[in-house]
Amino acid sequence: MKIGGWLFFWGGAFYFAVGYIYYLVTKEPVGTTALVLTGGLAALVAFYALFTQKRLGYQPEDNADGDIAEAESDYGFYSPQSWWPMLVAGSAAITFVGFVIVPWMFVMGLGFVIFSVTGWLFEYWKLERSEPIRH
Amino acid sequence: MTILEDRPKSQTTAAPFFPSESYGRKVIKWMTTTDPKTIGYMYMATSFVFFMLGGAMAMIIRAELAQPGLQIVGNEQYNQLFTMHGTIMLLLFATPLFVGFANALVPLQIGAPDVAFPRLNLLGYYMFLFGGLIAVSGFLTPDGAASFGWFAYTPLSNVENSPTLGADLWIMGLALGGLGTILAAVNFITTILTMRAPGMTMWRMSIFVWTILLTSVLVLVAFPVLAAALVVLSVDRNLGSQVFAAENGGAILWQHLFWFFGHPEVYIIALPFFGIISEVIPVFSRKPIFGYKGLVFATIAIAGLSVAVWAHHMYVTGAVSLPFFALTTMLIAVPTGVKFFNWIGTMWRGSLSFETPMLWVIGFLITFLLGGLTGVMLAMPPITFQASDSYFVVAHFHYTVFGTVVFAMFAGFYFWWPKWTGKMLDEKLGKIHFYLTFIGFQITFLVQHWLGGAGMPRRYADYLASDGFTTLNMVSSAGSFILGASTLPFLYNVYKTWREAPQVNVNDPWGWGMSLEWATSCPPPRHNFTSIPVIRSERPAFDEAHPEHADLPEHGKRFSITKKTLYGID
Repeated sequence: MKIGGWLFFWGGAFYFAVGYIYYLVTKEPVGTTALVLTGGLAALVAFYALFTQKRLGYQPEDNADGDIAEAESDYGFYSPQSWWPMLVAGSAAITFVGFVIVPWMFVMGLGFVIFSVTGWLFEYWKLERSEPIRH
Repeated sequence: MTILEDRPKSQTTAAPFFPSESYGRKVIKWMTTTDPKTIGYMYMATSFVFFMLGGAMAMIIRAELAQPGLQIVGNEQYNQLFTMHGTIMLLLFATPLFVGFANALVPLQIGAPDVAFPRLNLLGYYMFLFGGLIAVSGFLTPDGAASFGWFAYTPLSNVENSPTLGADLWIMGLALGGLGTILAAVNFITTILTMRAPGMTMWRMSIFVWTILLTSVLVLVAFPVLAAALVVLSVDRNLGSQVFAAENGGAILWQHLFWFFGHPEVYIIALPFFGIISEVIPVFSRKPIFGYKGLVFATIAIAGLSVAVWAHHMYVTGAVSLPFFALTTMLIAVPTGVKFFNWIGTMWRGSLSFETPMLWVIGFLITFLLGGLTGVMLAMPPITFQASDSYFVVAHFHYTVFGTVVFAMFAGFYFWWPKWTGKMLDEKLGKIHFYLTFIGFQITFLVQHWLGGAGMPRRYADYLASDGFTTLNMVSSAGSFILGASTLPFLYNVYKTWREAPQVNVNDPWGWGMSLEWATSCPPPRHNFTSIPVIRSERPAFDEAHPEHADLPEHGKRFSITKKTLYGID
């Protein structure tokens, strides 16, 4: 993640520099704001990536002599299939359309969003356990 | 990826989720899948349907323009058609198509079993699907779809001038679809930064993966601006706020916000397709990519600069700095030229062969080069002052966007079809498809340069016989029908391949595959690899197949993944 972090770092520096030059040349507020915020976005990702890299330490994917066997450990949990993404997207669609059609549809959509996001979050949790079920 | 110790039986040997593979089960499996490959195919299939829809609209537009007078549609319907044609092609075809290719290829090419957020991936797909359907559903309303052009300039798109429900649905549909694209970008960045196989350093990733990484960064920069602008426009229209009111300078504010999205968007739909080109050329030139790092840095430079060129779409407003944007716009031609240099350098003295994917690449190189050259011309404000909103601009952006997206898409389809489906597309039909598309495209759009030069404005439904545009418009319309018909051989090819083609039994049917996807079966298993070769360069599959040319370690054999190593495997 080191190179990735520095990629975002220099991207952020570039956007800040361009934003500054743009302001000097044009004194135009919209573009200046957009460029500075873009720089901020890149800086945010750069900070998080470099910080996380420092915390994690050695990563086999960054080792030019890395062996596939080095990735040996828990690789992580990957959902095999799920209904919730469709339900969340459908709820969001009802909310978005409701906003331009009738208020009750918008409110109903918000209710669906809360329901479906909750379902998504708790899909792999069981009540009697305090850690996610892995199967 | 790794071997896990045995798990308690109750947890590992759950009954299969779908005991039988009936038709309904298959549909449910596709609808609920979190497999990035399947989601990628869904993205590609859906966006191809939108492509054909947008293409049908383009043919109605061309039919209308073939002769002076209004024969087929009225002015308002014409406005709706070109608005939805632009919207569909940019936001419902090209953008999701990049997400589709990335889903189908990025995990394979970096040696990952999945993407970082599988459910978020599926959510992105459904947001694109529902958002696209909402935007297009305007055609089903009594007043028709949005008709203010795909860049929805205020005050034309405000509630006084466009009071239709179709306009509202367009805004909300695009906001929803854009949200899905943002989620996909987050997913790709995380996947590429954290889930590469050991040895797959950043400087060994395929060019395609690099382009996806930088495209995703551009999506993060551009799409939130679009989403915010669209939501604010909707609030203006429905709740009566005045953010984009003309008397507050809202017209220019909208143009700034829209093009701050709109120009990176052009590169969002270009860079991944440059990546596809960079994957195809080395395989059919039997040479490694020439100037790998140069290509990567050129891609980075394009991604960086593309954020600073937006107002070249606004030269004629008189409200932007011409020197600043002319300079940045011409600068961005330099890294694009570097890419051309690298592609030609890869082919130079290579052992070239011209299978269908390579033909499409040649079509891309020719078409996009012409589009890029007119782009440099239009970067000069004095030319834009003359040519703005004329058919010269229409020709320019069709050469760039059709050149990259469509030619590279078909190159990618023919190239990776055996990897994705296990069957090679028919070469003969593929060549017919290519030549029809190439000839149809050039006839349609080459003459539009001259139409623009003669003064024909874009977005007009009609012209007079005395304008002298009739002949060239006839030629262009005839070409567009060849172009439209060229999709038929492809559809027949897909059907014929599905029914008749033999199963591919090797990992790499092309024989000189470079990146990691050619080191697994066709089609790949659920989590992509049953074993992975050692990675010592940017072309691990080639190194494994031709070890005499590779610098592999002593133990440079495949590492078998003997057990199911991911939780939640199906």
